[in-house]
Amino acid sequence: MFGIGLMKGLFTTVKHGILTYFKGYKHPFPKRYFTEGPAPRLEPEGVGLFTLQYPEEKYKMFPRFRGALMHLRDPETGKPRCTACGACALACPHGVIEVVAEGKGKERKLVDYRYNLGRCIFCRLCVETCRFNAIEMSHEYELASYDKDLVLHLEDLLKIGDKSGVSEKDWAWK
Amino acid sequence: MDLESIFPRLQEIIAQWLSSFLPGWLAELLVILMVVLAIVLMMVVVVMVLTLLERKILGRLQDRIGPNRVGPYGVIQPVADTLKLLFKEDIVPEKADKLLHLLAPIIIVVPALMVWAVMPFGKKLVAADLNIAVLYVIALGSVTSIAILMAGWGSGNKYSLLGGFRAVAQLFSYEVPMGLAVLSVVMAAGSMSLQSIVKAQSPLPFAFVQPIAFLIYFICGVAEVNRSPFDLPEAESEIIAGYHIEYTGVKFAMFFLAEYINTFAVSAMVVTLFLGGWKGPILPSYVWFFIKVAIVVYVFFWLRASFPRLRIDQLLNFAWKFLVPLGMVNLLVTGIVVKLNVPVWLTVPAYWAGNFVIGVIALYLLTRFTPKKTPVSLR
Repeated sequence: MFGIGLMKGLFTTVKHGILTYFKGYKHPFPKRYFTEGPAPRLEPEGVGLFTLQYPEEKYKMFPRFRGALMHLRDPETGKPRCTACGACALACPHGVIEVVAEGKGKERKLVDYRYNLGRCIFCRLCVETCRFNAIEMSHEYELASYDKDLVLHLEDLLKIGDKSGVSEKDWAWK
Repeated sequence: MDLESIFPRLQEIIAQWLSSFLPGWLAELLVILMVVLAIVLMMVVVVMVLTLLERKILGRLQDRIGPNRVGPYGVIQPVADTLKLLFKEDIVPEKADKLLHLLAPIIIVVPALMVWAVMPFGKKLVAADLNIAVLYVIALGSVTSIAILMAGWGSGNKYSLLGGFRAVAQLFSYEVPMGLAVLSVVMAAGSMSLQSIVKAQSPLPFAFVQPIAFLIYFICGVAEVNRSPFDLPEAESEIIAGYHIEYTGVKFAMFFLAEYINTFAVSAMVVTLFLGGWKGPILPSYVWFFIKVAIVVYVFFWLRASFPRLRIDQLLNFAWKFLVPLGMVNLLVTGIVVKLNVPVWLTVPAYWAGNFVIGVIALYLLTRFTPKKTPVSLR
């Protein structure tokens, strides 16, 4: 009969509207987010709120997420594993990476590692070519900046690496 | 002092105080202006509350929270929105018809505010109890379509022109069944004054005496104020924003204001004509009026959250091929009941019988002739 579908639709929306006040998480009054990290959200078919209060609550990224590049340290010596071989700079399709080094042969040392974030396409080819377990993609995704040319230097990349707590390349692929 | 006459008493006190030191005509004029100002300010506050309520209720119906950043639970959000709109740059397109582009936002607000002159807020709260109030309200409803067409044409933009065309087609089509639905109420009440219509709904409100007229009026009311599912003139996914696409800042705020005032006005008309107006036990009459209007507005938001937009041909077919004949038959039944001079205790059952027969036939026709186009995979 005509109109039954309309009634069903009205009933569905009002059911969802009322149940948001009773089911799932309720956002505590003075705060608008859960202080203990993201509250558990429901499945898409479920009822109840599933708004994530973004700046305060954040989703945990999946392991193979490709964020900004980071440098890894050798856990024994505490120094960056990078040997300044330049394979990553060669592999990069956009010329994002610039390796600055001093000396030749065995004396070659890394001085700076410039990573132009504004041009990076997050393809992970640099990480795949690295033979020294020195770089990996991090889970950093809040990369907006006021500058057009946002260049991250070695210290920044090491800082991201320290923050991530990762010491092995390809950890998520094993 | 009883709560019922608190506002008329206040007006009397101010009038007496003013006439103590001003000439009589000036005091009277000032009192009239005061009433106008009170209504206009009330409407602005109502619009601010409605925008917040719409976003909160719509959010909840879609499992979201809605605005909750500005102030506790987002209650100051409308103030922030208003400030943003007031400080925005006013842009007039190069190809616009400058005069029409400027006049349209002014013309659209004026009739939206004028409707409130005849609206009975309470037993003793009505600015002007016209004896042709219903006609006045319907006439002002048509002025809106002129302003919308002016905005659509004057912007010099094809999307806004399409929106204007759609708005005119829709508003004119839906005014016909709306008028027919109102006429059956007017015939049953025997008066065109809104106060008398409210008083005529003594044992039962007209929504329960004439459910079909109520449904027709409600559907046409939703279409009249361009709300979803009848929001074709401003359909975002098809013509971006329709007739107000080229408006910014204060001019856009005017359209926004008019739209929400009209929504509130149509809800108030539904309440006055069909739901017993300000009638209700215990609480003062104006409180009852606002409670009933709030419920009708909630249903408007609820419809917006539930139904997808209609196509333009579906919309016009529904008006001309279904609502107009239905309204005419309903009017015929009402006329027969009024003309037969049935005894008072039999009028309501007579209306019920008539409405039941029409309703069953209409439902049968709708079920029989609605094409079933739902793809098998979506069923």
